[in-house]
Amino acid sequence: MATYIARRLLWAVFLLLVVSFLTFVIFYALPSADPAVLRAGGRSGNQALLESIRQTLGLDRPWYVQYGKYMDRLLLHFDFGYSYRNDAPVRQQIFDRLPATASLVVGAAIVWVAVGIPVGVISATRRRSWIDRMSMGAALVAISAPVYWLGLVSLYLFADDIGRFPIFKGSASYVPFSQDPAAWFGSLILPWLVLAATAAAFYARLLRSNLSEVLGEDYIRTARAKGLSERAVVWRHGVRAAITPVITVLGLDIGILLGGAILTETVFNIPGIGRLAYTAIRTADLPVIQGTVLFGAVFIIIANLVVDVLYAFLDPRVRFQ
Amino acid sequence: MTGTPADGDGALLAIDDLWVRFDTADGEVQAVRGVSLRVPAGGALGIVGESGSGKSVSMLSVLGLTRGRRTRIEGSIRFEGRELTTASEDDLRQVRGGEVGMIFQDPLSSLHPFYRVGRQLVEALRTHRDDMGKAAARERAVELLALVGIPEPRRRVDAYPHEYSGGMRQRAMIAMALANEPQLLIADEPTTALDVTVQAQILALIARLREELGMAVVLITHDLGVVAEVADDIAVMYAGEVVERGSKDVIFGAPQHPYTWGLLRSIPRLDRPRDEELVPIAGRPPSPIALPKGCGFSPRCPYVRRAHRETHPALEPVPDRAGHEVRCLLAPEVRSALWRELASGAGPEEAKAATGYRSDLDDLTGAQAER
Amino acid sequence: MALLPRRTLGLAVAAVTALALAACGSSSNDNGGVSSGAPVKGKKGGTLKVIAQGDFEHIDPGEVYYQFDYLMTYATQRPLYAFKPDQFALTTPDMAASQPVLSDGGQTVTVKLKPNIKFSPPVNRAATSKDVKYAIERAFTAAVPNGYVGTYFSIIQGAPEPGQKTLPDIKGIQTPDDQTIVFKLSEPSGAFVEALSLPVTAPVPVDYAKKYDAKAPSTYGNYQVSTGPYMWQADKSGKIAYQVGKIGTLVRNPNWTPSTDFRPAYVDRVQFSMGNEDTIVASRQILNGKGMVTGDISADPPVIKQTLQRRKSQINFAPLGMRYISLNTTVKPLDDLNVRKAILAASDRNALRLTRGGPVVGDMATHFLPPGTPGFEESGGVKGTGVDYLANPNGNMAVAKKYLAASGIDPSKFTLLVVGDDSGVGGKTAQVFQSQLTKLGFKVDLKQVPHDVMYSRYCNVPKAKVAVCPNVGTLPDFADGQAALDTYFNGAAIVPENNNNWPQLNVPAINKAIEAAKKITDKPQRAKAWAQVNRMIVEQAAAVPWIWDKQANLESSDVQGVIDKWNADWNVSFSSIK
Repeated sequence: MATYIARRLLWAVFLLLVVSFLTFVIFYALPSADPAVLRAGGRSGNQALLESIRQTLGLDRPWYVQYGKYMDRLLLHFDFGYSYRNDAPVRQQIFDRLPATASLVVGAAIVWVAVGIPVGVISATRRRSWIDRMSMGAALVAISAPVYWLGLVSLYLFADDIGRFPIFKGSASYVPFSQDPAAWFGSLILPWLVLAATAAAFYARLLRSNLSEVLGEDYIRTARAKGLSERAVVWRHGVRAAITPVITVLGLDIGILLGGAILTETVFNIPGIGRLAYTAIRTADLPVIQGTVLFGAVFIIIANLVVDVLYAFLDPRVRFQ
Repeated sequence: MTGTPADGDGALLAIDDLWVRFDTADGEVQAVRGVSLRVPAGGALGIVGESGSGKSVSMLSVLGLTRGRRTRIEGSIRFEGRELTTASEDDLRQVRGGEVGMIFQDPLSSLHPFYRVGRQLVEALRTHRDDMGKAAARERAVELLALVGIPEPRRRVDAYPHEYSGGMRQRAMIAMALANEPQLLIADEPTTALDVTVQAQILALIARLREELGMAVVLITHDLGVVAEVADDIAVMYAGEVVERGSKDVIFGAPQHPYTWGLLRSIPRLDRPRDEELVPIAGRPPSPIALPKGCGFSPRCPYVRRAHRETHPALEPVPDRAGHEVRCLLAPEVRSALWRELASGAGPEEAKAATGYRSDLDDLTGAQAER
Repeated sequence: MALLPRRTLGLAVAAVTALALAACGSSSNDNGGVSSGAPVKGKKGGTLKVIAQGDFEHIDPGEVYYQFDYLMTYATQRPLYAFKPDQFALTTPDMAASQPVLSDGGQTVTVKLKPNIKFSPPVNRAATSKDVKYAIERAFTAAVPNGYVGTYFSIIQGAPEPGQKTLPDIKGIQTPDDQTIVFKLSEPSGAFVEALSLPVTAPVPVDYAKKYDAKAPSTYGNYQVSTGPYMWQADKSGKIAYQVGKIGTLVRNPNWTPSTDFRPAYVDRVQFSMGNEDTIVASRQILNGKGMVTGDISADPPVIKQTLQRRKSQINFAPLGMRYISLNTTVKPLDDLNVRKAILAASDRNALRLTRGGPVVGDMATHFLPPGTPGFEESGGVKGTGVDYLANPNGNMAVAKKYLAASGIDPSKFTLLVVGDDSGVGGKTAQVFQSQLTKLGFKVDLKQVPHDVMYSRYCNVPKAKVAVCPNVGTLPDFADGQAALDTYFNGAAIVPENNNNWPQLNVPAINKAIEAAKKITDKPQRAKAWAQVNRMIVEQAAAVPWIWDKQANLESSDVQGVIDKWNADWNVSFSSIK
């Protein structure tokens, strides 16, 4: 197991190198706005100023030299550089925004698991019943609804400032947990629900189809023949076997979203990593783009690793291979 | 209506005129059609038939495992005199794994892959015994594994099913079925997925346990050879019906139904010449959705007559043989004559020629005869 | 956004939604019932919340060069001069004690400072002329990138190129005593006097700022001190409580003396909320909520429409620069004046304006001096200079044909490279103009790219040889002809990159007229001279003027909002809570 993890970590480092390299190449290969011009604030025609900004930011060097310097700082000092736009250290900006993204994602994950799993189980155990048809219909709607649209609709309906039924806190109401836990919770209710809606629907459908299949397995018949209650049969034997792929997806989803839940963060103005990345892309802020991309990649790689280890933990057949 | 009249007379399990129908997208499946069976306490019944003959469905129905929104179950199933077809789920749960244990064909897929064998045993135990502590259940699980002949049970109790060999898995299944000392063990094709040497061990185990524990056994199989090892009585099923039943000796010694003949001819026997050809029965069982109108076996029967396709035969006693019943429209003496020829190694056509039996369909070409 | 500003405007705004500018119909005084934004006496106290879609671009007073940055800077910093909210073209002494005194034929500008204007904590001392000198000099270093000192302050004697590695000592800035600063210019300049109102002239405490300016880029912005009525909330070390992309708070400056300032400073706190990317949600929050105003958000046309119907008093329209479509005078066949005139004549400018929302977004432009700029009336006002190729806002094909015939070219033999926005209303504008060129017979190669890319990789780069730039615009630094025309139409202003003279207009007579007009310091004469330059540019048909923009600003019902007309945005030190 230890060598396995070590090998995976080496592979992860290699992947991160590739990702950082690609980000750099893409940034320079595709036409984007000139960071020096943006940094100059406005579009002055002054050459000398532009030159000096390029020098300061190192933009006058060939891209591979810039990349080399970047990697040097990153690998030796864990330094992600400074934003072209406001000189803020990228690493600090990211860590500064991580709590918001984590609050959003973890909370939403709890919601979608808490909703998606029971709905999936009920649907699978009562296939073709009205409750199954209704929940699967609703799931289809939720899966098809774009998060951005869902976010706006929920704001217009339920936000306490602009909603028709002012129940929950609206956009831009995010407060860090450390500052006021109650306000933190209140401000995240709508974003949690919106971010969780699609995922809950997806999980319900995934679990329904997995569980339907599992409930036809021989060991379920065995469980029934033992005299177990239907609840024990479904949950202890059925769900236990059907949940493994769901947990895999859950791990990856959380990993991907921790890299930034861009749309939800944008609609609800939650100062998370997603919005940081979004702004950076729009302002050609390469160090921040690079930082958020790498950060996102790290989360995805970690999530993959965790999922694989978890998988072995969940399915003894995998463990012994 | 077919079958013997209901007489719950002291049998451990008494099934009377059991019908099981499933609604499917393609139409109604008549899986079990008027089956009546008896299993005395401590007795051993073998139910033989091809897959789809309704043998598993009838036994699953005993445990209520065929219940569902799209299933219709009619008739009577009594266990120790209690009616099970109308019993509540809770009552049935007491029967399942408590008074009746059941094991299945594929022991690998029948054990939960994510749980240790011991845990699955403990679960079986504690489901029926609220008072049993975890430690005691575990001790009992080790005992059970020892009982079914698993070596090093104390170590193996913590292994996962995939770490067991095929034979050990079936032993574990049996241990689980026996956990609560049932009065009846239903074994559904317990050896089909196993290789031949292991088959024999498992059958021997079942026979031994039946002896030791004094429980009744219902052995479901498509293989008459398997039944021979264990059963006292044999019921042969075809297309949802019992077509012949009797004691093991009668079925092997003087079978009356052409289908039983076919089954007997398709098993290797030690008392026959080695080079004797094993003859599978030609054709396939009928679709349970579109059953033939007359005798269910008529489309495959070498001795079929035109009238057999119109009249549904009843399960009737064979004259002079107590407890031997057959569902066949051929005259008893014709049957006896034909079997004599077949038993001596002749094929169906040779037997017909030797006995002078002639069907009114024999002049037709094959294709027409098929109809 | 689609305006190309000297002072960048709503850079973040328009990438997602249209920078919507609004007016009711073509007449700008038709504001019955909408918020006038005029200064009125207000109640003291309360918190004003400023809702922004993006964020500040810069916070260092030496770097700020953007409408939203100005909103914050003019409440915290006191430059030598500033604008009263309702005075578009007239500066008021701020740090200065009086209007500047010009001598030596306009080449010496002397400014007296008010005594005892104290910096906020932790500096707590009075600002002097040396702090002003330092503020300007540091803006010439690479550590403090400034977008305009090269344009307006390089005529100070001894001024180096911007972007210096070390702090220059500019001989032309003299500080005979703590309350006097003297600028020696290499030539007279009307614009220089106006430019003394830019934030770079706000004092920066030398002793305190030096350690922050030693870093490149400077970190003074994060530790800045104020002279204005408000200052950034800061911790003990002086580090300001500004969270990029999240929030920022201004509180009262304890060292500010009301009697020295024209700002009433009604509210106690100003809170900035950043990153409200969905402008419709943000607009509704402001309209339905309490104590809020827009920061860098210009309301979208649907919001404007609804607000005009139901909450008319909560919207204000302020003029804000202009848009035009530039025709590259160095690319064949656009080098032919008749061809350009034909294109202008064929342009359906009403159709172009409709792509942004029609008359609500601004008046039909007829020349290049926006309303309110001295010289506007002398250029013919809203009617225009009278040329036949701009007479009909819907276009006139007959006139177009006439000029095309005069040029003698066959348009079908030419493919014009048009580079425009790839999304939003800018993209639509580009497509509409493409179809208008096609109608005239040209083949068009339309390239659509993101707005910033359009500028920095194509339209701002003469080497790219873009024939037509349909999404350019200007926002003058102040209401002055030079600010509106010089960089954009002076042949001497053409540079190999980051060029803002998009038509690459290089007509000796115009260049000469511009240089002469720059030197005029007498206001009426100056206005006349720039109007003349404006007419000459129109004669050259180098661009299709099509909107004099207006920005729609919103306020909550309990806010007594006051608009800085020169900045087209709210003034937080004049606005109050009812």
